[in-house]
Amino acid sequence: MPLSTPHAPQRTPGLQQQHSRAAVTATGLWRAYGSGEAQVVALRDVSVAFASGQFTAIMGPSGSGKSTLMHCLAGLDTTDRGTVDIGGTVITGLGDKALTKLRRDKIGFIFQQFNLLPTLTAEENILLPASIASAKADPAWISQIIRTLDLQERLSHKPTELSGGQQQRVACARALATRPEVVFADEPTGNLDTRSSGEVLGFLRKSVDDFGQTIVMVTHDPSAAAYADRVVFLADGQIVRDLPNPTADDVIDTMRGFETRVPLAGEAA
Amino acid sequence: MLRATLKGMASRKARLVLTSLAVVLGTMFVAAAMILTATMEKSVTGVIADAFTDVDAVVSSAEDPAAAQGNTPSATLIPGDVLETVRGVDGVESAEGDVSGQINAIGDDGKLVGAFAPTIGFNWNDQSTGLNEIRDGTSPQADDEVIVSTQFVKDAGLDIGDTVTAYSYTADRAEYEIVGVFGLSGDRDSIAGETQMGFTVTEAQRLLAQGEDAYMAIYVEGGDASTDDIAAAIGSDYRVQTGEEASEEAAQGFAAVADIMGYIFLGFGLVAVFVSVFLIINTFTIIVAQRQRELALLRAIGAARNQVVGSVLAEAAVIGVIASILGLGLGVLLGWGLSQLVSSTVMGGLAVQLQVPATALWALAVGIGVTVLSAFVPAIKASGVPPVAAMRDAVNPPKPLRGITIAGLAVTGVGGVLIALGLTDNLGDLGLGGFLSGVGIAFVGITLLTPILSRPLVALLGAVMSWSFAGRLGKLNAGRNPRRTAITASALMIAVALVTGIATLVSSFKETTTELTDSNLESDLIVMGQQGANIPTFMPETLAEIKALPDVAAVGDLYGEFFGAEIDAEPTMLYASEDLPTSLGIFSGTVADGSVENLPDDGLVVNESAAEDRGLALGDTVEVAFANDVTAQLQVTAILDDSQLTDGWWVSPAQIPNFTVPKPMQAYIQVDDGADVGAVQSEVEDILADEPEVSVTNNAQFVEQQTGQLDVLLASVQILLALAIIIAIIGVVNTLVLSVLERTRELGLLRAIGMTRGQARRMITVESVIICLFGAVLGIAVGIGLGWTVQQALEEEGLTSFALPWALIVTYLVAAVAVGLLAAIAPAARAAKLNVLNAIAYE
Repeated sequence: MPLSTPHAPQRTPGLQQQHSRAAVTATGLWRAYGSGEAQVVALRDVSVAFASGQFTAIMGPSGSGKSTLMHCLAGLDTTDRGTVDIGGTVITGLGDKALTKLRRDKIGFIFQQFNLLPTLTAEENILLPASIASAKADPAWISQIIRTLDLQERLSHKPTELSGGQQQRVACARALATRPEVVFADEPTGNLDTRSSGEVLGFLRKSVDDFGQTIVMVTHDPSAAAYADRVVFLADGQIVRDLPNPTADDVIDTMRGFETRVPLAGEAA
Repeated sequence: MLRATLKGMASRKARLVLTSLAVVLGTMFVAAAMILTATMEKSVTGVIADAFTDVDAVVSSAEDPAAAQGNTPSATLIPGDVLETVRGVDGVESAEGDVSGQINAIGDDGKLVGAFAPTIGFNWNDQSTGLNEIRDGTSPQADDEVIVSTQFVKDAGLDIGDTVTAYSYTADRAEYEIVGVFGLSGDRDSIAGETQMGFTVTEAQRLLAQGEDAYMAIYVEGGDASTDDIAAAIGSDYRVQTGEEASEEAAQGFAAVADIMGYIFLGFGLVAVFVSVFLIINTFTIIVAQRQRELALLRAIGAARNQVVGSVLAEAAVIGVIASILGLGLGVLLGWGLSQLVSSTVMGGLAVQLQVPATALWALAVGIGVTVLSAFVPAIKASGVPPVAAMRDAVNPPKPLRGITIAGLAVTGVGGVLIALGLTDNLGDLGLGGFLSGVGIAFVGITLLTPILSRPLVALLGAVMSWSFAGRLGKLNAGRNPRRTAITASALMIAVALVTGIATLVSSFKETTTELTDSNLESDLIVMGQQGANIPTFMPETLAEIKALPDVAAVGDLYGEFFGAEIDAEPTMLYASEDLPTSLGIFSGTVADGSVENLPDDGLVVNESAAEDRGLALGDTVEVAFANDVTAQLQVTAILDDSQLTDGWWVSPAQIPNFTVPKPMQAYIQVDDGADVGAVQSEVEDILADEPEVSVTNNAQFVEQQTGQLDVLLASVQILLALAIIIAIIGVVNTLVLSVLERTRELGLLRAIGMTRGQARRMITVESVIICLFGAVLGIAVGIGLGWTVQQALEEEGLTSFALPWALIVTYLVAAVAVGLLAAIAPAARAAKLNVLNAIAYE
């Protein structure tokens, strides 16, 4: 689908702010891959804000652009047009050095898999961002996270000695260790069984409620999305729905609504 | 299956290039060695073959076939009347006698002409010129005229009309006028860098045959007399060969030089091949590990185990064939280049006739064989991948090192035992072979032990580099796969061990020489020459002049006979001194039995163990046959305590005229207490101004001079081993590139959570430096062990001290760090440039 000249920015219907301050704001994001006939537009004029201290889930069918959106928000991918603001810093247009520093200091990451360095112990993995920054982590804060995640007994273990759920909990602890402006979680429960998923999502919820953490999570699992304060639905590179205080059923219903228009692929990207 | 293999290979071009490079370099050197040998042999044989084209028969003494070359003892001379007999043989048209041998000429600069290639004197003969063509002037008509080769003109800086001084070991100096210049056929100056002077027959005989009417060879030209006819006429004391036979024999001597060089290159080529084995094994192991899922998938959809093995081996074979052919091609070029280099530097501009012998194909066999064999173990490992591995995440838990460690200990043990037995002379005739194979086996054993050694060593080396977090991660990565780190480092270890071993021997030799000089030599100044093409000597009168200097307390002197004296029919080197008691005093030699004072003319002095070896005691008489056919009955009048500087057979100065070179070779000057050694040295220098062959040094300079050539040897070895080191560096690069590939997702994660490009680069660089340092440290340790072992083996031969080459060891360590930095450049850049998004999504 060839990219036509972008329209003037327009307000996306679902954009709404529940809190006074936005941790992350995207304005008029465009992102296309490839060129000519093979061009695929992943984001077309997306504007969205994520309030501080809120847990937002991004959902959408495969190819809807939800991963691209998260990557652009996190400074991992570049945008063709539009701006991203994290905690008052416009990150679009920043160089690699500045972006790296921003990711280190202001962003936490949780990935679907391969989240830990196999050479380091659980504790070293948790302290990894601080180590990279040659900074001292706040010991009180770290031990609070470790207690909350029930990892006290596992600190000296190497990742290969941990279960998948334990590994992901270590990844959660690492993401929160630097008290980032925002934590981006990319399908954090994609590889986990139901019980471990519940533990991880429960912790993410708790970190928002108890510590005021801002979390943006990409998922295709409606029950995972139900842990969020708000669900943003993407389809065809555009935000098509913004659902506050969702339940799993709400999410399933909303998704079913899209299915009539865009058939869901078997697996999420 | 083969199609799948080939397609897979095409998609991994960079990896192929790196692996192939190792095979290419190895084969290239092996092929170049073969080609150098064959080419030099052909080129030299071609030239020498020309020498006797017009000669129908060559007569030489039956006693010594090599008589035509080098210094000729009179026993092998052919008397003049034999020439007349040959001329009288029916059917002989013409016959000419040849007198030739090594002489000395003093060049324009007052130094000997041609220090490293001999000056050959011969009788110029217009009929049997052979290779020689007059370029300018005329042939010598009078005894004080000489015709010289173009090489001589170049080396001596003298030309037609100039006067040149020449002498031989037996004939005193004389001045000659250069009346002509000749060149060799094919517009060459020399065959092998030698300089030539053509004299009249009588003058040549004065210089080289002690003035007798005698020849070294007779050349018969024209007519129809057969070699048998001539042989029948002159009797069985002489050998008669056809021109062809003589050419072949002469060529063999020259070809041997090329052969030795070929062997040296072959040796280093094989070291390179050996080192590439590690690189190939490592690469295939990593490739197999990375393709684990792919291979498992193939197995899951029905590929048999041997098909998987076949697939990996096919990949190896393709690499082996392509790389070996490429290596062979480059080897031809290198061989040609080396031949040109050797011919222009050593062989005096010899025309190179490039030969690609069938043996060069061995390089192909070696290249392909080594590649396929090296891939065998990884291939077997590949076939062991269970089909179910396709379905789960590929996690390669590090394999336990027990098996390989036990094997390593066992092999090292066997090697150690062989070394020990060799050192203690318990292997009998197999001593040296057993000892050397022990060294080789121990090498393999230690290589097998490197994985287990890598753990503590990498941790230790890494600790130094862990000051930054990126460095710490690099250290952890280096220790992650002990086998891989070990194999990569082993390649470097072998090269470093060889140079360190040789460097250790060189430094031990220096230490031994220094100690010998310091503790045993009572002299302050030494007069001697650099050993070049001839044994440097000086005039006996010079010795007297030095003794007469005011501040000189004593002078020890040394005459030697190295060429063919026999004691009781056994070839033995003889020494003599004008003043044996003084000389022994200077050499700290002590008399065990008898007396060396007033040594009678038929006296003989020998050290204890040499006397014991021949079952001689004080008062015994032996028969000494000198090279000039004089035989004497000598009586043992003194036995010396064993001491390195004085061991050997000493005869009375009265026997010196019987020596092949009746001139002093060395003088050791003891300066008066309190006198200025430097002042005496310059006085001696003045006396030696007219002695082109020798110079005076103090003891420190002497040690320097004695060991200087070893430094050159060490440098050459280092240059040649650079090849192995280059291959080792490629191995490090290869391992790092593959590690970066393997850890793409990990790097992506690190970059995502805030690792800067610089930190990523540093992480890879530290890993690289640690691997290289590990290899260097191991290599240095093994090399020191090797050096020590050989020093122990040579202790009885006089290598009594053991010394470590500290400066070189530090240099090697610094070089290892540099190599590590260099090897990391490309992989680190790759890691830094990694697209974070792609890396996270990387499967």
